[in-house]
Amino acid sequence: MIEIHNLTKTYEQIKAVDDVSVTIKDNTVFGLIGTNGAGKSTVLRMISGVLKPDSGSIAVDGMPVYDNVEAKKKMFFIADEPYFFANANAQGMEKYYSSIYEGFDREEFYQYLESFNLDKSRKINTYSKGMKKQLAFLLGICSKTKYLLCDETMDGLDPVMRQGVKSIFAKEMDERGLTPVVASHNLRELEDICDHVGLLHKGGVLLSKDLEDMKCNIQKVQCVFATVEEELKALNGLEVLKKEQRGSLCTYTVRSTREEVTARFATVDTVFYEVLPLSLEEIFISETEVVGYDIKKLILG
Amino acid sequence: MTSRNSFWANCIENHKRRIWVWIVSVLGQLTVYPAFVMIYLSRIRTWYAQGIYRTYEEYHDVMYRVAAEALGFRHAMVSAVGLSFIIGIQGFAYLHDKRKVDLYHSVPVEKNRRFLVVYLNGIFIYLVSTVFSVLLGIVIAAAQNAVNDLVLSEVGLAFIWNLLFFLVVYHTVILAVMLTGNRLITVCMAGALLLYEPILYELNTYMQYAYFETVSRTYVSPAPKFSAVYDYFSEAFDLSDSVWTKGVGGLAEVVLPYCGKWLILAVVILAAAWFCYRKRPSESAGKAIAFVKTEPFLKVILAVPFSIGVGIIIYDASNGSNSLTVASMLIGGVIACAAAEVIYDFDIKSLIKHPLSGGVAIVGIVVIFLIYKNDLLGYDKYVPREGQVESVAMCLDYYEGTFWKEDFSSYTMADYHKDHMFITDVEAVLALASKSQQEAVGDKEVCDVRVVPVLYRLKSGREVGRNIWIDFADPANEALMNRIVGSEEWKEGAYQVMTDGESYNQVQAMSYSNGATGVALLPEDAQRLRNAYVKDMEKFDFTLATKERPCGRIDILFPKYRYTHLYVYENFENTIAYLNEQEAFYPVQLNPEDIADITVTNYHYDLKDEAIYTGQAGYNLAMGAQAEAVVYDAPVYDTPHGASTTTTVSTTFDDEEQIAQIVPVIYPSYLTVSWHDGTQEMDRNYDIYVTFKKDTTYPYDRTQRGVYYKFYVGQVPDFVVEATSLDAKTE
Repeated sequence: MIEIHNLTKTYEQIKAVDDVSVTIKDNTVFGLIGTNGAGKSTVLRMISGVLKPDSGSIAVDGMPVYDNVEAKKKMFFIADEPYFFANANAQGMEKYYSSIYEGFDREEFYQYLESFNLDKSRKINTYSKGMKKQLAFLLGICSKTKYLLCDETMDGLDPVMRQGVKSIFAKEMDERGLTPVVASHNLRELEDICDHVGLLHKGGVLLSKDLEDMKCNIQKVQCVFATVEEELKALNGLEVLKKEQRGSLCTYTVRSTREEVTARFATVDTVFYEVLPLSLEEIFISETEVVGYDIKKLILG
Repeated sequence: MTSRNSFWANCIENHKRRIWVWIVSVLGQLTVYPAFVMIYLSRIRTWYAQGIYRTYEEYHDVMYRVAAEALGFRHAMVSAVGLSFIIGIQGFAYLHDKRKVDLYHSVPVEKNRRFLVVYLNGIFIYLVSTVFSVLLGIVIAAAQNAVNDLVLSEVGLAFIWNLLFFLVVYHTVILAVMLTGNRLITVCMAGALLLYEPILYELNTYMQYAYFETVSRTYVSPAPKFSAVYDYFSEAFDLSDSVWTKGVGGLAEVVLPYCGKWLILAVVILAAAWFCYRKRPSESAGKAIAFVKTEPFLKVILAVPFSIGVGIIIYDASNGSNSLTVASMLIGGVIACAAAEVIYDFDIKSLIKHPLSGGVAIVGIVVIFLIYKNDLLGYDKYVPREGQVESVAMCLDYYEGTFWKEDFSSYTMADYHKDHMFITDVEAVLALASKSQQEAVGDKEVCDVRVVPVLYRLKSGREVGRNIWIDFADPANEALMNRIVGSEEWKEGAYQVMTDGESYNQVQAMSYSNGATGVALLPEDAQRLRNAYVKDMEKFDFTLATKERPCGRIDILFPKYRYTHLYVYENFENTIAYLNEQEAFYPVQLNPEDIADITVTNYHYDLKDEAIYTGQAGYNLAMGAQAEAVVYDAPVYDTPHGASTTTTVSTTFDDEEQIAQIVPVIYPSYLTVSWHDGTQEMDRNYDIYVTFKKDTTYPYDRTQRGVYYKFYVGQVPDFVVEATSLDAKTE
């Protein structure tokens, strides 16, 4: 588990990370979402021990991370622009990382290279941007660290590769309890990968929640009520996050479980009602609008 | 088996990243050592084939020396500095790249270990390439029979010396990498760190000479204490080939203290570099300066010397204008501060950022200028209290000869004085020093003010060097000067003959001359002559030195071309008795009957000086105008050796009567001594060339046709003045 408490980092006069507290549970995919400059990379660089926080603490499995080799052995950091040695090829990078990470799985690495169609002898500086990201990802996976910190690693991957990454995550999580931490500025990139999401904005955390919890606790209901009284009766006691109305068709976003909403609407007189699934985007819009932010501007552009 | 993430595994991995550095290092050292050995030795072989060397032994000796030079002290500085920059920056510059920092600082390798790996690998690269190249050079030299024990000793000591020098520079470069976040700034920072102290010393020296009257570097020449570059420059050329003069022990005595000093320096700098490495924030990659808080401080300490340097240039160019100097210093300071801010941010808009530190720099510049301009620290007024001074050395006679050590190796005059002159009559020296300021003003009508370097040895162990101004013509000074010059302590320090009896066992040649004669003396008599001379020197004092003129000179040649001149005065009875015994003594005054003719050349220097001084139209140097009062070709005085031929008039006198009138008022140039330099006793306008007849009463020096003389001031016969006047020339 990675526990972050009151983390703050300032670059000269600019506060990049401001009092961030997040807990990253083991064996979950943690998504760190925020606009450019929100502080995602800084948080990841502090978690990986590259940067020293001005204040606050980071504990990786109970160990402080900065300048601590034992903590770093549990992590692999894939930077937004991963560095590869000049004129190196995939094989050369494997040799370096396998000299650093005791558990590096060479065999698996070359298998993955093949399945991702990456030439082990080709110079990395001739790779495309996406190929470099794939290579960095594979190096990270094969290092067999418990935590894999990915800074914008998913961004720009084509759907096939995304699927490949997703299945590798699933496999590694299942086999050895990998905990990926994935930072992205694009919510849609993470929707189908993350279990838990932390939303960063201007250096602070807007929210940090389990995706399932969020999905289970927010429902979207489309319905046409027979009368106004019936509408009041149905909504009485429910926390309505949002209401849209087109003619007599109303769409409510309410905070409640699916069972409770279904049960409640079944007892009132409606012409039609249906509980619809919410996308991650809709959940975020609902959650952040409540606290006064326009999520579309923040992460959806 | 080596563990995957062991220290050695890290070292090997690091070497893989440094292959081009290996190549540069090996190629560089191969060029510096074996290539130069081959070129040098081949050149000597060619010269030998051309017959430049008289004997095979001489040729062989040169081969040894050249091999020692090529593999020793002479060439390694460039490669040591160059490689330390390349190795140091390449090894640690990953700290300047955010992407590399992300990689290296996130992987599980201890920070200390990474530092150690990169640092040691750097030394390893230098060591291997240097050892390989030096050994190859030795093999090449040995193949040409140019290696012996002395060569190997010099090469060995030079290797240690160069290695430690490399370490100092290498550590400085690493420190510079830690303090900066950009390679170009690193190079500048390393240069500044290496040269800062010597530059400060140079600036201080220049400002002192510009504004102080008593600055002297004769005895005490303040030198940077912590600059290996300065040490290397000041010593390396002297050390080259010196194992033959100093011996292995002597060379080691010079080299090893430097090595010890550099080792300490290297350790201190390395500790500073390591400290900065530990404290360096990773986010400083790519910035100009790694530690933001040091930026204002760095700006001030760089802007101040820069502005003083600008001021010095303008001071020279403006012929000492204080207003222009201070103005240029301020402008220089503003420019330097602005440039520093622009460099810090890589942004031209940052020109006037942090005005407070800029203000501090400007105030500092003004204060420093005032300290020199108004001598706020009382440099010129410094005269130590009598109780503070242990002894004094004083350079009064710019002794014409060389000083030497026991092995006849060179000894500078200042060093000889420092080691042998211990004047304990401090009171007399301090009394003269106290008057120095008045003498410097120089408003007396008749004066002969000399600038005399003095060394105060203080009881605290400190040595202070100053010039004091002494008027030799002031009767009030005569008694004080006699106490000094008449003292045994001064004579023993000023004249090697007084104490160094041993050398007189190895005299190679001796001769005596009254300025016109040249009589060889027996080298076997050297000790006898010395004893007589030392006894006569008891009579030597300031009055004798300045009021009397030598009547002859004994020239003595020692091994290794060391020589001395012993001036003989008429009251030196013992010496003259010896010379008479050898039938070598002749009076300084010539016998007119021996003279065939006398050619007098009048350069009219006084006329020239007067013209320049008063700015007469006819002698306007700049304009080259025609003279009105005296019509001659102009411009004149354009040669460094005196007036041009346009004001030079020569006349030859062969009339016996005229010769008889000239002879009593001339004195041989050969015997002029520095004691009389400023007294104007000899007329500088005239050169006199005396030609002798074939048969003469004295054994005149026949190595030349005649000899040169000078007129005593005010005693030039009228007919000579007339015959050599400018009017005489036009006729």
